[in-house]
Parts: sequence; C-alpha cells; structure tokens
Amino acid sequence: MNFSVIKALLKKDFSLFLQNRFYMLMTIVGLVFYIIIFFIMPNKVDEQLKAGIYAPVMPPAFSILVADPASSLTSYASLEEAKAAVENGDSQVAIVLPADIMQTWASGGKPEVEIYYASSAPIELRDAVISLVKELSYIQTGQSLTFDTNEQVMGQDMLGEQIPMRNRMVPLLAIFILMMEILSLASLIAEENEQGTARALLVTPMTVPELFAAKGIIGVGMALGQVVLFMLLVGGFNSQPLITLGVLLLGSLMVTGLGFLLASLTKSLMSVTAWGMLLFIILAIPGMGIMFPGLISNWAKVIPSYYLTDTVNRVVNYGADLSVVGGNLLILVGFTAVIVTAGIVVLRRRYQ
Amino acid sequence: MSIKHIITLFNREVIHGPKDVTFIMVVVTPILISLFISLAFGNIFSEKPKLGLTDLGNSQIVNLLKENNTLLIKEYPDEAALKEATTSGAVDMGLVLPADFDTSLIQTNTLKANAYVWGESLAKSRMIIPAVLADTARQITGANVPVEINSISLGDEMNVPWADRLFPFVVLMAMFFSGLMLPASSLIDEKQKRTLEAVNITPATLGEIFTAKGAIGTLLGVVMGLIILALNSAFGNSPLPLILMLGLGSLMASLLGLLAGAFIKDMNTLFAVWKFGGLLLFGPAFIYLFPQIPQWIGYFFPTYYILKPVVDLSVYDAGWTDIALNAGISVILVVILLVAVSKVVSRMSNSALRLYT
Repeated sequence: MNFSVIKALLKKDFSLFLQNRFYMLMTIVGLVFYIIIFFIMPNKVDEQLKAGIYAPVMPPAFSILVADPASSLTSYASLEEAKAAVENGDSQVAIVLPADIMQTWASGGKPEVEIYYASSAPIELRDAVISLVKELSYIQTGQSLTFDTNEQVMGQDMLGEQIPMRNRMVPLLAIFILMMEILSLASLIAEENEQGTARALLVTPMTVPELFAAKGIIGVGMALGQVVLFMLLVGGFNSQPLITLGVLLLGSLMVTGLGFLLASLTKSLMSVTAWGMLLFIILAIPGMGIMFPGLISNWAKVIPSYYLTDTVNRVVNYGADLSVVGGNLLILVGFTAVIVTAGIVVLRRRYQ
Repeated sequence: MSIKHIITLFNREVIHGPKDVTFIMVVVTPILISLFISLAFGNIFSEKPKLGLTDLGNSQIVNLLKENNTLLIKEYPDEAALKEATTSGAVDMGLVLPADFDTSLIQTNTLKANAYVWGESLAKSRMIIPAVLADTARQITGANVPVEINSISLGDEMNVPWADRLFPFVVLMAMFFSGLMLPASSLIDEKQKRTLEAVNITPATLGEIFTAKGAIGTLLGVVMGLIILALNSAFGNSPLPLILMLGLGSLMASLLGLLAGAFIKDMNTLFAVWKFGGLLLFGPAFIYLFPQIPQWIGYFFPTYYILKPVVDLSVYDAGWTDIALNAGISVILVVILLVAVSKVVSRMSNSALRLYT
C-alpha cells in the first residue's frame, strides 16, 4: 500500500470539503444545534408527587404522609392557599380535610374529603391521590392491611439520583451524528460512481485497497471528529473516557462500513437518500429505547447500533467499566468487522 | 406556464424516476413510523405507574386493577419474564401473586406477594402503586370505605395524553421526509448529472420543471400524511381543515426543498443542511414533548404555525375559527416561500444554469 497515494487522495477529498464552505458551516451549525438541544432539555427528574394538603386537624395517618420525603406533600394554612397552589401550578393536587374529620370517624360517620386537582393534570394522578386518601383513611380507622411482601430492587437503586432526560438523550444524539456520516460517505462514493471519477482514479497507479483506505479514513475521521467534539461539550467523557473513545471509534468504523454498503447497493444519489433514511430510522431504534426504558425488548439486539448506544449509555450515564460493557464491546467489534468487510467486498465488486 | 409540460415532467419523474425512492418514501417510511409510534409510543409518555403481574393462581385483583385504570397493568406468564421486564424498566414494579393470594387476603387481611422494583422507578410511582394495590385489594375483602371523596377540577386547561400530542409530529415528520427531501435531492441529482440543462433546452421552462418537482413533493407529503392519519384513524372532528393543513405543510416542505435544491451543490451539503435544518423544522415537536421548555420558543419555528393547527384540530377538536390565525400565518409563510422560489427560478432562467451547479 502506497501511503503517498492515500495521502494525495485524502488531500483531494479534504480540500473538496474545505472548498464547500456552506457544507462546513452547516456541519458546524448542525453540531451546535445538537448541543443546544442537549442544554435546553430538562436537567433534573421530577420524581415526587406534587401535592398539597389543607387539614385544620391532621389525622395521625395523614401526618405520616406529610412527613414522608418521597411524597413532597406541602401543608397549606388555608383552603384558599391550597386552591391557589393548584391553580398556579405549585401543586397538581390538593387534599382538603374537614375540620371535624376525627369526630365524624369517632361517631361512625364518613367525613367528606375534597380533592382539588389542576384540569391539566393527568387524570390518573387524581385517581392515585384518591386511592392514597382512601388507604390512609382505612389505616386511620383501624382497618390497615398487612403487606407480606419480599421486595427486591432490580438494578442500581436510583431513588433520588434519577438520570435526567438530557443525559438519556446523549447516546441517541451521538448515534444521530454518526449516522449522518453514513449518508455523507455513501453519497460521496455514489457521486464518484455516477460521475465515473472512481473508475478514473482506478486507472491511475492507485489500487482499490488504497482507495478504500482513503475513503475509510475520511469516513472515520469525519464521524469521529464530530461525535468526539459533541461528547466533549456535553460531558460525555466524564466517566471512563478511554472506553467511550474506543466505542465511538468502533461506531465510526461501523458507520463507514455501512456507508460503503449503502453506496454499493444503491444506484443513484436519490436511492442513497431514500435507503439511507430507512437505515437511519432502523439504527435509531435502540437509542429511543434508552431514552424510554422498557420501550424495546430483546429483538432490538439484532440491530448493530444497539451495542453502540447501550455501551455509551452504560458508560456515560452509569459509569460502567470494562467488566460490565466488555461483552457489548466484543459483539460491537464483531458487527463492525462483518459490516466493514461486507462493505469493502461489495463495493470492490462494483468497481470491478 | 404550460400545464401540459408540467404533467409531462411530472410523469417523467413518477414513471421514469427511481422507483425504490418513491416506494420507500411513500410506503415504507410512513408505515414504519406509524407502526413504531403506535406500538411503542402508545404508553411511554403516560404518567401512570406501570405494574407487572404474574398471577400463579386466578386472582380477582388482576381484573380489578385493569378496571381501575390508575396504573398501567402488564401481565407476564412467569416470574422470569416479570423479573426481566422489571430490570429493563418496562414496569416500575413487578408482583408475583401466589396461588392463594385471594384466600390469604380474605382470611387474614394480608396482601402476600413477591415484589420486584425497577431501580430507576420514580419515588411517586413507588408510593402510588402500593396505595392503589391496597385500595383495590379492599374490594376483594369487601371493606367499607370510611370516607366520602369529592374531586373538583380547577382551571380551564385540558390534559392531553402524550400519545395524542406526539401523533401530529409523526404526520409532520412524514410530510417533511418526502415533501422536502424529494424535490431537493431530485434537483441536486439533476444538476449533478447536467440533465436539468438538457430539460431546459426543450420547450419546458425552468419554472415548469420546478413546479413539477414541487407538485410531486407536495403530493407525496399529503399522501404520506393521509396514510398515517388513516392508519391511526385520526382525522378528528374536522377532517377537511386537517387535510388542508397537511396540504399547506407539504407545500411549505416542498418549497423549502426546491430552495434547498436550487442553492445546494451536492448531496453531502444537503445532508448537512438537513442535520441542522431538520432540527429547526422539528423544533416545535421537542417543545411540545417537553412542557418544561418555554412554549414561546415555538413561535420562532416556521413549522410551529403548521403544527399548532394540526394539534388543535386532531387533539383539541378545534374548528376553523380556532386555527384561523396560525393557518393565516402559515399561508403568509408559504406565499413568502413561493415568491422566493419564483425569484430563484427567474434568476436561474436569466443566467446560465451552470452558474448554479
């Protein structure tokens, strides 16, 4: 392999990129936009029930709920204050207990409890609070139910340390950035195929492996450069930076292989767009699964990007080390090797 | 401008254009997006805590919990499947109900079960699930509710489930996938192959070429939007205004696509523009999805004025008068884009095409 030929080819492709200032600008602006999206997303999880209570006389069972930090139940001094809190959004629901609640129970009656809820609040929240009030009333009237349960927390208990939506989005945004490079590389190659410049290059002393090496370096360089910059700015390298970098490198190699495959299997630039979009949707599915846990099941493991997004998620959001993500990395290496080899073989056949 | 020329050019694109592109854009993508949304996104935005159940006997509580509707109930055939679902976050809590669950509840007033809690389950879910479970269990024991509860709604705002809110975005995405990308990539493709110059020296004018490509983009956008609406039976109470808004949105998309196609030199740049512009176009979708983001930011996005009426029509059962202002702004935006496209076409017609390639 003649490195000066590869260097010349890289120089040619790179100068083409630099000449197209609009493309350069759009690439940078696109990246900035992803970063802006990250920063405007919620940076905390609202995991507590936003409810309030107005109780002139607080029954002991209810005071337990007020004291429970998980409930975040605010106690109001008056009915007006409780209603105002619901109306201005400080509380989604307000429980109002009557002043004679204890006497009513003592006399065997049923006190009337009012629940004020914001019309914009989900109806299930109102129903949940009704269930809570009923349960506390049962307890207060000596009808408590015994819970004989063995409780086991599955996975790391994140109570109070929930991962914000924007951090969950990082693997998805990273894979979006990488996947756009499939389209860019595939269209670059398809354009050279259509215009015949690839064949023209092959009648020079340049060999097919040198052509692939140059295109591969361009593809990996463009993908890795952008995704590394993005991860640096959103704090994606705060935990296990070497593993993260390694995964992103593998991801860049994989998208380069997919770019080769897409370019070789499509006949025109239009086809690259259409098939590329389809590929884009499929490869984005595992990222959506990370944003919304439980969304996808085991079938998603057949999508190669699963191992990329899952590894980035585990490392960036949970601080996982090699012992946790080692298996994922091995599978990712396998997928990448198969995709890159297939891409080179198919594209090479097309050139010949 | 000759209608005959436009129809000929339209047929040329449709009949002799790349079939795989049209097939993917018109059939595969909308169906994939729609299936993905309806299968997967149906419940993810719901704030209901999710409870998984494996019933080893035949407890009444399973059906009672389903009827209660406060929790999202999912059933699993065995404990292993329940554990897996809890670990993945498919449910907040998984309960294995023993065969004697009801007997134990009625005889000893004891709720007996093995519980698995998802580590990332929210504090409020961990509080609500046991309360609802206990409340439902009382129905089996026949306990007398010791309290009367009156619930009173405050305010005028309506709660809209996230699944409903998300749906119009899918329509928007469908419109812009084909409406924008197809005319843009078709123009760039023709410029690169120099076929645009070839067509231009025939009696067809550049304006007719642009009109034909724009018409295809608009038509595809509307067709994709309609397919998604039909697949989801979501025409709302005002299908006509909704279809008109789809038409307006698709026209906006294809005009943007024509502008992009006229100015962009190659597909790489188009993808770079899509990467940036796509976010600009879908910005309102993010704003709708996450209420924590100030809603006024939406005013800066052109697609907001398409999206808002579509949301109002399909979700809030709005009528003509409710959407008039935003629809009017959309029309103004489309007119501005039409003027811009005609200016570009005029400039391109007056100068050598190669200047733009």
